[in-house]
Amino acid sequence: MEIAVIGNSEFILGFRLAGVQKTYAAETDERLVDSVTRALGDKDVGILVLEGKDMERIPPRLRTTLENSVKPTVITIGGEEGGLSMRERIKRSVGVDLWK
Amino acid sequence: MALRDIKPTRSELINIKRRIKLSERGYNILKMKRDGLILEFFKVLQQAKDSRGAMQERYARATEMIAIADTVEGAIGVKAAAFSAADRPEITLKSKNIMGVVVPEIEASAVRKNLAERGYGVLGTSAVIDETAEAFEDLLESIIEAAEIETTMKRLLDEIESTKRRVNALEFKVIPELTEASNFIKMRLDEMEREELFRLKKIKARSSS
Repeated sequence: MEIAVIGNSEFILGFRLAGVQKTYAAETDERLVDSVTRALGDKDVGILVLEGKDMERIPPRLRTTLENSVKPTVITIGGEEGGLSMRERIKRSVGVDLWK
Repeated sequence: MALRDIKPTRSELINIKRRIKLSERGYNILKMKRDGLILEFFKVLQQAKDSRGAMQERYARATEMIAIADTVEGAIGVKAAAFSAADRPEITLKSKNIMGVVVPEIEASAVRKNLAERGYGVLGTSAVIDETAEAFEDLLESIIEAAEIETTMKRLLDEIESTKRRVNALEFKVIPELTEASNFIKMRLDEMEREELFRLKKIKARSSS
């Protein structure tokens, strides 16, 4: 399985340098949504890396799918988004806000 | 179960008693499972916090490095190096079992590479590119680690939620309803017995007079 990275061209360039092949540039919102749906459907993608600020540009419905997706696992870096959604989930399941 | 649907018979009472016993046993086991899962969750939570912190730190370093590389080499230079990078990192998913929850164990290969394995020419590029590549390899490594831990956490949370629902349904819905039904049958049977006794007495009084 592979790692897929979606983000602006500067963001994905570094991952290219580290050897990741499945990097998709997504400058516009449509391209972003398109790439994300494609990556979700790709059987070969095990981990999907997104940038925190791109996560806010994704429509809420797709975002929920991303947050709940286990295969591929979606990881957001930079920004607080990943932590926040996790925080909500923990609050709902355990009943106490344990994140941080 | 509405009370009027229950037949007040002895066999039904036995059935309900059996079901109460079963539900209580299930309830106890599920409660233990819930507590166990929450304990597991606490362990993973600490790891998740640590890995996220490390990832964020490495991300900051990696963005800094690529900015420097852009300045030193120019965007074209970095791009050229990036596109010649060979050897993609492969990950393999294995599964592990935590209290009945299947969680993934991600193993990665070829994330960290040495200079010769990176694919771009050593002569044409500067040390900044190497350092940037290294920073991103570091970042990738912690992303993989974080992915494993966060998936584990998601699965555990789902399981905790459904177990909690089941425990609560048993505690506040199933068991009280069954107890109510059994009480109803007991009362009804007693009532029928008293009626029978009274009837017998009545008959006896009539036949003796």
